[in-house]
Amino acid sequence: MSGVAAAAAAPRGTYTLVPPEGVPIHLALAPVGLRFAAQTVDFLLTGLAAGSLVVILAVSEIVTFELLGAVFALLFLFVRAPYYVLTELFWVGRTAGKRWLGLRVITADGRALTPTATVLRNFMKEAEVFLPATALLIIQGVSLVPGIAALLWTALVLIIPFCNRRRQRLGDLIAGTVVVTEPETRLLPELTASGTADFVFASHQLDHYGAFELQTLEQILRAPEGVERTAEATRRQETLEAVVAQIQARIGHTDPVEPSECRPFLEAFYAAQRAHLEARQLMGERRADKHHSKPEAPAGHHAKGSQNPAEFQQQESKP
Amino acid sequence: MNLPVARPIYTQTTRPVPAGEGEALSLRSARFRAEREGEWRRLEALLDRVERRGLRALSFDEARELAPLYRRALAALSVARAITLDRALLGYLETLAARGYFAVYAPQESLAGIVRRFLTFGAPGAFRRSATALIAALFTLSIGAAAGAALFASDPGWYDVLVAPAAGDGRGPEATREDLREVIYSGADHEAGALGAFASYLFSNNARVAIFAFALGAFAVLPAALLVFFNGMMLGAFVALHVDRGLGIDIAGWLSIHGVTELGAIVVAAGGGYRIGLALLFPGPYSRRSALRHVAGDATKLALVAILMLVVAALLEGFGRQLVQSTEVRLAVGWSIGLAWLLWLTQRWGRA
Repeated sequence: MSGVAAAAAAPRGTYTLVPPEGVPIHLALAPVGLRFAAQTVDFLLTGLAAGSLVVILAVSEIVTFELLGAVFALLFLFVRAPYYVLTELFWVGRTAGKRWLGLRVITADGRALTPTATVLRNFMKEAEVFLPATALLIIQGVSLVPGIAALLWTALVLIIPFCNRRRQRLGDLIAGTVVVTEPETRLLPELTASGTADFVFASHQLDHYGAFELQTLEQILRAPEGVERTAEATRRQETLEAVVAQIQARIGHTDPVEPSECRPFLEAFYAAQRAHLEARQLMGERRADKHHSKPEAPAGHHAKGSQNPAEFQQQESKP
Repeated sequence: MNLPVARPIYTQTTRPVPAGEGEALSLRSARFRAEREGEWRRLEALLDRVERRGLRALSFDEARELAPLYRRALAALSVARAITLDRALLGYLETLAARGYFAVYAPQESLAGIVRRFLTFGAPGAFRRSATALIAALFTLSIGAAAGAALFASDPGWYDVLVAPAAGDGRGPEATREDLREVIYSGADHEAGALGAFASYLFSNNARVAIFAFALGAFAVLPAALLVFFNGMMLGAFVALHVDRGLGIDIAGWLSIHGVTELGAIVVAAGGGYRIGLALLFPGPYSRRSALRHVAGDATKLALVAILMLVVAALLEGFGRQLVQSTEVRLAVGWSIGLAWLLWLTQRWGRA
């Protein structure tokens, strides 16, 4: 699968990274709100650093009072610009704010982040945000046209991330970078390991469901068992019983299942169903969901599941 | 070189299966997981340390182990997508591979290396590749200056139109020779002290012109060109006024000490802006986006050079112009610094 095709197939809100090894990795794009929060943190950090420098200068009377504003603006720029570039470079795409909120800058082409890319995306930030903001502050008196221009520019720049699929701002677009959320790894225990032989399912009983139902069941079984308050425990038990009843009705399993046996039953069914579907998958038959056995899927449904746009267009163009 | 003896990585051909579990696991995908879980955990432990303290936290052997472990996890992800329906496992491998990618394809840079490369290779290279745009920018500025001087010669009233009152600080067409001389040699424009002058400088006209010339280049060259042209007209009128009062050589000295660098910065910044604008206007065989990305690196380097030049110009204006009062020395310092910039940016300084 080429990088472009992989990216096109990725659902909204995810970004498909194709590393040089060629195995696509799906990552969650950073929500714009979180990015804004990370920016605020960085802004405050660098502002504080520049501010304390100014205070030192003022206390030691190197700078006169009238010039404090200009000196602060200058120092702020000199602290801020290298801060973003160097942290993103040496902490692999993470400024302090991004690190705290679990965000990361990566390249869109799957290669390592380059100094040029970090410089570019952060200097564009100066042009995107800080320049119009400073301009608004500096413009003295009532000059309407530049003020409105700066406001329009800021509005435009803020809209851009919402207008493209990868939520890139202008600097990201030019530098070829994407901001994603930090992936968190957690290996959950193997569910099929504890399977008992108390429940046995025939092959035809396993032909009803597909991968979607299997993974929904997996989600139910993996629901975290936190502190067992009675109300919560009862609700969980009720869910399990309802699921057991549903499955039994569907697959034609008639043996009664005790309430205490619900979980073992579901685990056994999960193991059997997964073994069945995985064996089918190895033979080249992927069953996406319980509709897999319908002989002629309705056109709309088929087109939705189709990975091939050309095929879809052919269908559409037929009279 | 005295490297530690490395333990071979690839010798382990059979993977250990946890005792007692091999029989219980009937599922192929469960066995697949059990066989590889150890090395995934190992990779995870390495990644935890790398993410907290950087690659330096790893020993020689561990660092050597990292990339193969990552590639095996990636291969496992690829296989798992084909053989398992365990969503928890797929999710785990996906995130593990992503974290491995971040660690293995981290930028391997040192600050000294970046600076050295920029100075010896990056900046001069970008400068040479942008020769056309830079000459165009210089041309715009010169034409502007000539136009400004010509307009002033035709009617001194143009001076007030071209040079904003703030930039001229009282040096208008009505000023006498002595008034102008006074400003050139007394340092009367520096009552705020050197550091204050330095700070206010960066927000003064020319720095702003340089910044906007770069940024406006992105809007298809013309606004940037107009800005540079207009700045040139201002300069031309300003110089023409002094020449008219017989202060030609004095104003040349006054301007040269920082102006050579400062106007150079405007030209370099505008050249970077031109390149961006030209890439957008005439992308050639590329899409506009990839044409933009193609020139973005050079444009950034030019912007960095311009910033460097502006800072040096600010230092020269803040300190140098007061310390050096003789016109000859002002001229010599200004132009030799200009020559130094040119030498730096046009010569080859070894390989990258």
